[in-house]
Amino acid sequence: MSTPDRFQDYNLDERVYDEMFLPAGEPREHCQRLFDALVNFSGEQLASVQERVTRSFSNEGITFTVYGDEEAEERIIPVDCIPRLLPKAEWDFLDAGLTQRLRTLNLFLQDVYGDAGIVADGVIPAEVVYECPHYRPEMRGFTPPQGTWVAVCGTDVVRTNDGFRVLEDNLRVPSGVSYMIANRKATKASLRRLYRDSRVQEVEHYGRLLQETLLELAPDGRENPRLALLTPGVYNSAFYEHMFLSREIGAELVEGRDLMVRDGFVYMRTTTGLERIDVLYRRVDDDFLDPSVFRSDSVLGVPGLMDAYRAGNVALANAPGTGVADDKSVYAYVPDMVRYYLNEEPLLENVETHLCRNFEDLEYTLDNLDKLVVKRVGESGGYGMLVGPHATPAERAEYAEQVRADPTDFISQPTLDLSRSPCLIEGNFEPRHVDLRPFILHGRETRIVAGAFCRVALRRGSLVVNSSQGGGGKDVWVLQD
Amino acid sequence: MLARSAQGLYWMGRYLERADHLCRLLRLQAEALVDRPIAEIYNGWNRIYSCLDRQPPGSGPDLFPGNDGDSNAGMLQVMGVPGTAAWQRSGGDEYTLADSFTLADDLTFERSNPDSVWNCFAMGRENARQMRHCISAEMWRSLNLAYLRIQQVDILDIWSASPEAFYLEIDADIDNFMGVAAATMYRDEGWHFMQLGRYIERAQLAVALFLSQIELFPLNSPNGSEGSESDWIALLRMYHAMAAYNRAYSVEVAPPQVLDLLVTDPLLPDSLCRSLDMAAAELTAIATGPDWRSDAAARRLAGRLAALVHYDWPDTNDQRGILTRLEIHCRELHSLVSAAFFDYAHARPAMP
Repeated sequence: MSTPDRFQDYNLDERVYDEMFLPAGEPREHCQRLFDALVNFSGEQLASVQERVTRSFSNEGITFTVYGDEEAEERIIPVDCIPRLLPKAEWDFLDAGLTQRLRTLNLFLQDVYGDAGIVADGVIPAEVVYECPHYRPEMRGFTPPQGTWVAVCGTDVVRTNDGFRVLEDNLRVPSGVSYMIANRKATKASLRRLYRDSRVQEVEHYGRLLQETLLELAPDGRENPRLALLTPGVYNSAFYEHMFLSREIGAELVEGRDLMVRDGFVYMRTTTGLERIDVLYRRVDDDFLDPSVFRSDSVLGVPGLMDAYRAGNVALANAPGTGVADDKSVYAYVPDMVRYYLNEEPLLENVETHLCRNFEDLEYTLDNLDKLVVKRVGESGGYGMLVGPHATPAERAEYAEQVRADPTDFISQPTLDLSRSPCLIEGNFEPRHVDLRPFILHGRETRIVAGAFCRVALRRGSLVVNSSQGGGGKDVWVLQD
Repeated sequence: MLARSAQGLYWMGRYLERADHLCRLLRLQAEALVDRPIAEIYNGWNRIYSCLDRQPPGSGPDLFPGNDGDSNAGMLQVMGVPGTAAWQRSGGDEYTLADSFTLADDLTFERSNPDSVWNCFAMGRENARQMRHCISAEMWRSLNLAYLRIQQVDILDIWSASPEAFYLEIDADIDNFMGVAAATMYRDEGWHFMQLGRYIERAQLAVALFLSQIELFPLNSPNGSEGSESDWIALLRMYHAMAAYNRAYSVEVAPPQVLDLLVTDPLLPDSLCRSLDMAAAELTAIATGPDWRSDAAARRLAGRLAALVHYDWPDTNDQRGILTRLEIHCRELHSLVSAAFFDYAHARPAMP
């Protein structure tokens, strides 16, 4: 290919899948238009596109909160202006795979809080389910409306040379969907012509789909069910998203202190008195929902909420106890669950996972620490993990001690060569590792918008995409044909 | 609407009104620095600090060289009566400018001063951020952009160029925000609570400023000074009332007439009677609160406040007495509104 200057530092590596280029260096077919546009932009044009995208975030006040030593700080998430493109066929595959997976996980939850056939049939060991800290015995024998335990799911998908893999199912309070929409608004406004010519599938109707999904969960017989979104408050890192979504779905944005339970119903305090709530889209963790059932030291929750929920007087999305299905140990069994519940082969594969609770897996993990990523079962957000190839021998030795001390708390996976996508770095294009978080909604039916929040590890060579650790975002354009 | 949201919007209205009010005072003060006599400049600072009920930073001999000793004395005592020997002894122009710089910083950017423009604006914006789902996207954008601009400057930036331009800009930003609000905000209770907050705050600030003014320049007092004409012109300009005054009276500025106009002119956007009428009207637009006793008391009190300026003010010679009553009642009105709508202790569910 003719190498324009701004792609001169763009190193292709055959071990790593590139989202834009074929291994030989030609742009992939669906990326040709984007490539031509990028090549034809002048340096000033590119800088101005990036500047407009960044400014759009800052002007809108789209922030997340970082907690330092002294005080919480509002920060703008770094955004790269170059979209990641997915052709329709790839998206349709993901759509089918994600739908299959969420159906399965809902069936799994109904099962393990019911008769637990999957345990009785020996598909998944009892201790993996019942020793999971996110398993909530309080939910046993309960069936949520529509059998929907997980109404909102954000699944982390990565791509390697072997194809797409699910890295993690986020089934508790997944966040990031507001960034998907903000990225789209900003990118669309800055790359107007390219956007129109590219025929991209819409994502901005997500709010409507979410509203439809939540209303389907309302207790029977309620006319004009009242929605509310429960936020931990303005200091929560995802507060912007809570605010944004409450507006999109016409819900009151409430905190625990705004709610109270009377005679088994949930009410919010309004300027004219108490008003009943029918569906609560809660963005607080199980632990902080109801201090009379879960953590008694919580001041965030609503005493009596669980009683109202179990009596069927209010719907909660997601249901409490869904954490057992996105536990890092349980994760390893999801492909087996698909076969067990649906009698189908899983469309989307897992990343190969070793559970250190099994002796052979523990041995394997300790012997191959320099090649593996080791994670704590209970941690998320990129914390508490060891990226073996990037660690020093001393760090690995120290980590091995921790693993030996409590093997059940750890899993290991091969270090994945996450695919890379071009990013604008100081005026030139450089490849950066990316992942993909599509959002799946499930009420009476499954709904997915064709798009995702794409997280980018903006530091050169880094594989960590979490926004708390130097990651950023970019828009994902799913093409119409 | 959610009680906490209504409360947030109410406070957003109050804080932005407070920032706006202080900006207008500071703009006049910054303009005065260019060509007014030192005594008038001191009077101006004095009026501002007195109506905020705040001590100037480092008040005492260092800042006000006219003082002979008592470093704990507040500014009022330090300065004594304008035009006296103490005034003549107080430094030259360089002192005025240096002091003004410190005072302007204290009132504009000082983070530890809860009433500084910066803090009022930041608090208004923080309430807007928390209640962003209750206001229009246009309102948020206009306020957030203004906030980002203020974040980028400090006293040195504005002082070397043109402080009055800075205050004018913030003033315009807030006016702009309110205009955007009027054009785009849904007229639900959130709107009415925001407006209620603005009008209660505006009335309270006006009362405090008028009280400071007649404290400094007593009306009808045989011994006291009514101040110079320009001390009263400043007050008219503060309320955009110069032209209205000239139309209603004459070009000669008489202190009692100035006060009458600012208190009772129903056509003047910021007059005290209009603020009180509007506060009562906003309350009427809001549905009865769960604490109906406080609710009824708030409505009665709002009516009584308006009646004081409509019916008692024209007949009295005791302006100070009425202003003092208004000051107490405004605070009471705020407490009743909080009790009726925001902080009510106990309530029965409405029928499902």
